[in-house]
Amino acid sequence: MNLLSLIAQRLLQLVGVLVGITIVTFLLLHMAPGDPARLLAGDRASAETIAAIRTQYGLDLPLWRQFLTYFLNLLGGDIGQSLRFQKPVSELIGRFMWPTLFLTGYVVCLAVPPTVALAIASARRPGGAADQAIRVIGIAGLTIPVFWLAIMMSRFFGVSLGWFPVSGYGEGFTGHLYHLFLPAVSTSIWLVPVLTQSLRAALIEKTTADFATAARAQGASEREIFWRTILPNAVLPTLNLLGVMVAFMIGGAIIVETVYAVPGLGSLMISALLGRDYYVVQGLTLIFAAATVLVTLTVDLLTAFIDPRVRL
Amino acid sequence: MGILRKARTLALNAALYGAVSVAFTSIVAAPALAAEVIRIVSPYQTTTLDPMRSAAAGNIETYGQLYARLLLRNPVSGALEPALAESWDVSADGLTYTFHLRDAQFSDGSPITAADVAFSLDRIRSDKQSAYPAPLGAVESTTAADPKTVVIKLKSAFAPFLGNLEIWNMGIVSKSDVEKQGAEKAFSTAPVTSGPYAVKEWKPNEKLVLQPNAHYWRKGYPKSDATVELREIASPETRAAMLKAGEVDVMREVPWSQIDGLKTMENIDMRLEPSTTIYMTLLNEKREPFSNMKARQAAAYAIDNKAMTKAITRGYAEPANTTLPGAVDFHDKDNPGIPVDTAKAKQLLAESGMEGREVKILATAGATEQQMALLLQAQWQAIGLKPVIVNVDSGAWWDATGKGDYDAAANWWYNETPDPDLAVRWALCGTCGSNSYNTFYSNAKVDELVEQGTKEADPVKRAGIYKEIQKITTEEVSQIPLYYAPNAVAYSKRLSGIKLTPSLQWTLEDTTISK
Repeated sequence: MNLLSLIAQRLLQLVGVLVGITIVTFLLLHMAPGDPARLLAGDRASAETIAAIRTQYGLDLPLWRQFLTYFLNLLGGDIGQSLRFQKPVSELIGRFMWPTLFLTGYVVCLAVPPTVALAIASARRPGGAADQAIRVIGIAGLTIPVFWLAIMMSRFFGVSLGWFPVSGYGEGFTGHLYHLFLPAVSTSIWLVPVLTQSLRAALIEKTTADFATAARAQGASEREIFWRTILPNAVLPTLNLLGVMVAFMIGGAIIVETVYAVPGLGSLMISALLGRDYYVVQGLTLIFAAATVLVTLTVDLLTAFIDPRVRL
Repeated sequence: MGILRKARTLALNAALYGAVSVAFTSIVAAPALAAEVIRIVSPYQTTTLDPMRSAAAGNIETYGQLYARLLLRNPVSGALEPALAESWDVSADGLTYTFHLRDAQFSDGSPITAADVAFSLDRIRSDKQSAYPAPLGAVESTTAADPKTVVIKLKSAFAPFLGNLEIWNMGIVSKSDVEKQGAEKAFSTAPVTSGPYAVKEWKPNEKLVLQPNAHYWRKGYPKSDATVELREIASPETRAAMLKAGEVDVMREVPWSQIDGLKTMENIDMRLEPSTTIYMTLLNEKREPFSNMKARQAAAYAIDNKAMTKAITRGYAEPANTTLPGAVDFHDKDNPGIPVDTAKAKQLLAESGMEGREVKILATAGATEQQMALLLQAQWQAIGLKPVIVNVDSGAWWDATGKGDYDAAANWWYNETPDPDLAVRWALCGTCGSNSYNTFYSNAKVDELVEQGTKEADPVKRAGIYKEIQKITTEEVSQIPLYYAPNAVAYSKRLSGIKLTPSLQWTLEDTTISK
């Protein structure tokens, strides 16, 4: 299959995924107890006020009609208005998306070098001292809850030592780097062990692969075999895993963003869910789904680029 | 090494040095800039800038900064003082109030006229989307007699009227602007304001940035020309870290467990400020077991609210004795309340025939709510009920309590003014539209007393009426009063003159920053 038809097929899949997600989230959200009008108007609002607000936003219409309106708007490219803030959802997402993307990129930059270094150190002599130590530390890193780690790091490096800010996104590129340092590190500490395990396993597996044996038979040095043959082949499964993780992080930055008060998509999602801001939640879900599909597509293309034998 | 190569290295070094120093300066420059900003961090969000549209906590705090009212409550003495109304006359029968406006302007420089006042109050009173029209419930008509005079006629005498005109949602908005742009647009980004501040930038779900309103009627106010940032951070851990790290100046809603820690910090002023907040347990009186008065009384006698107050608030709150907040006028300090008496509780429960009944306790995720639910569960279990805790988020909480699909729920409410009228209407009156704060408690005698209370002008007689209301509702256990909580707020010591008043208003216009 050539590249273009692959991309076309995936984009078609994307449409299907998005339609499915739209229907499911719409139903789940609207069936969950909790009324956006009540949360908007506040505790003291009377029943008449709530009813008036519901009418204004069409929340009193039958569910299928609400869905139809929403879906038709969606086809027209309008993802709706925030019920709470009276702002277009696209505007909100457009603003909150940058900190999350920056954080995601930052985490990848922080996580990939140590992953490669640790996995190589581990796989050189499986079962050796370095391997054992890395695995123990890896398990520890993996089992520490991200929110706990984030809170502890913010207390120690932010409050006690005063080295890094404990909140916000900062101004300008260096400001972002500085402000997002602690959130990025605490996420990386959780991400690195997962990736290291995957890469290590792949490296060990590839050491005994036929092509490695063939290279050895041809008299290549171990060093050459490792760098030229084993590593590029072992990277593929980890690349796939990294792709999934990145997609997951774009949607799952909720914990670190909450602890470090980063104005990103995660914190927007939390408050939209609590405020029953239906269209913001829908919009975010669509973005997360699209991001997942697109990131996996990119990873697949990269895989094909690295290893032409992979059938797309 | 060739000269060219050396030059290149030098240039690279210079570039690197430049980049590092720029980065460093931008980092170091941040705190210097902070001297001109007052940063407040609160869990409550600003969701709309229209003072009529929401009665949610974050909006209440914001409205006071943006919109001036006819009257002002002195933040120190608590007395009502002239604001946009320079003076006022009350007719002999107490039915007509005439307000004389001072020369004042909106933030766009246009004059504030009687037409604006009448327009604003009418919106609050009769617009379908007005979140809280109750304070103007007694108003018959609002008219602009001339550009500087507003005449308000009441349906019947109404003692708390002047105080009600000071409440957060009574802010005056610009008639011409709202009519020209439509309400939605007029309040969407930077509305025309009448209060001490105007909106500089609003980033919904993140922060609201305010700047002093150059046209504010009180000359010399706000005392500081600093901008104000109201930031919204849900997690108390994060708020505390930001305050300790010096990233914000004021932390709203300090959890009880953090108070001692913040008290020991040198640059932080940890304060417990007076409030009209009451923590209580709602009981659903629409269905069994708590439709039975003896079962309610049993539930109340089972609860040791003194121990509960100490356990939850570490002694920073005062155990409640009646169904009204301790800080409102006419609160009856001498009411003995309902003491803990497990034997009596068991006996009452046996008499009610509700032993072994399941009690569904609704609880939201907050630490305090969870603790209250657990303690209620333990104490009710001890007398023979079967309490079950049901965890929900606040959206589902409101849904369930509003529909009466629950048995008990610990929660809090506050009164926006010292006068008890709105409090009793909200929490105890069965015919006032709030279903006695979703308890569905209803007692015709109490409803009658509530009406009497507002019509009575003599404070001594009013005190008697509210004492009677407290006696009946406490004995009949319309709700179970738990404790009266102060507002726990931590301030940076570089600020002075700032506080959160019992009506949930920041005194930002009185605030100064020490250099």
